[in-house]
Amino acid sequence: MLSPGRQAMQDRALAWLLLIAGIVGFIASFVLVVEKLALLADDGYVPSCSLNPVLNCGSIMRTEQAEVFGFPNPLIGVAGFPVLATTGAVLLAGVRPQRWFWLGLQLGVTFGIAFVGWLVFQSLYRIGALCPYCMVVWAVVIPVFWYVSLRNASTAVLGKRVADSAVVKVLREWQAVVLTAVVVTLLGLIAQRFWLYWTTLI
Amino acid sequence: MKLQTKVSLLIAGIFAVVLGWLLAAAGRDDEPDAPPGSSAANERIVREDSHVLGEEGSSEVVLVEFLDFECEGCRAAYPIVEGLREEYAGQVTFVARYFPLPGHFNAERAARAVESAARQGEFEAMYQRMFETQAQWGEQQTPADDLFRQYAVDLGLDMEQYDSDYASKEVADRVQRDVDDGLALGVQGTPTFFLNGERFEPSSVQDFNTAIDAALAE
Repeated sequence: MLSPGRQAMQDRALAWLLLIAGIVGFIASFVLVVEKLALLADDGYVPSCSLNPVLNCGSIMRTEQAEVFGFPNPLIGVAGFPVLATTGAVLLAGVRPQRWFWLGLQLGVTFGIAFVGWLVFQSLYRIGALCPYCMVVWAVVIPVFWYVSLRNASTAVLGKRVADSAVVKVLREWQAVVLTAVVVTLLGLIAQRFWLYWTTLI
Repeated sequence: MKLQTKVSLLIAGIFAVVLGWLLAAAGRDDEPDAPPGSSAANERIVREDSHVLGEEGSSEVVLVEFLDFECEGCRAAYPIVEGLREEYAGQVTFVARYFPLPGHFNAERAARAVESAARQGEFEAMYQRMFETQAQWGEQQTPADDLFRQYAVDLGLDMEQYDSDYASKEVADRVQRDVDDGLALGVQGTPTFFLNGERFEPSSVQDFNTAIDAALAE
């Protein structure tokens, strides 16, 4: 476990991350919903992010994967990201939530990362196109999940044994490297999958 | 700086350098191996086995289109090209080359279906059918094999032959050879036109007429 002073500092950093990521994620989801409505109103509508065959939300928004739960996925983001942003703001305002609140947040971000992981796979290997706004969502959910989980693991929210474990200690020390590795891997997969297309851009 | 920060930066840096290097290397490959106008380029623009739409023209003028059956721009160019074919019938030779783009789910399938039909002498009919029905199957992420097969049935093709061609490596390779030629010539998107070996970027029907008339007058 960290000293109370360092923990407070890290919580503050996390609060800023939640606030900014929440706002950015909300904007991206909101735009996606608006584009979806425009597409529903006019089937010939070309969304603002349909730039070319690879960077194309239009073709993605028409897939089944875009409505896994029977309604457009970005609605989840429109509802969920403001919660993240508010949590960030509340933390910055000095509120110290109870354990159950952190557990709830953990549940939310875990669902978020699982869903994003699935969407990344679908986008790359099943649909074969990328949607820029969706990638913004991927980009914010990954660090949010990582730092919320790390915070909860090291502050005994997930149990004292977890907090004291050597694994958590190492992960905390190397947090930036883990995140960098994940992001680089994802970028690598994107580069590899659409290689032919990227090379035509030069 | 902390060790961890250094390692992160190192990973990101190595990734950026490797990616940049690979892209640059691919970009060099992409440089037209065959500069326009050279005989190597002309050979790549029209191969012996490239498909001519309709009859060859009597003049030396050849208009080549690298196309993707799922591309909306190609769909938009299709009636223009059909119009030109009528207008310059017997004079100009119109050649179609496959250039299915990787982001189009059914583009490569469509090219194989057309090539399979071509092997039974129905290139033009299948080519027209693909563009005319593009709205029905384009921009979808589900295989359109069955629909394309139905088109072949409609054309009265020998279906045993069609099925085996459609699935064959030979047909897939034939499509890929067109793509490779396109890439070597610096084709980046579709439709890309070459008029008498020169890359040519029309922005209106008038541009086609002007360029073709000029080429015919030479």
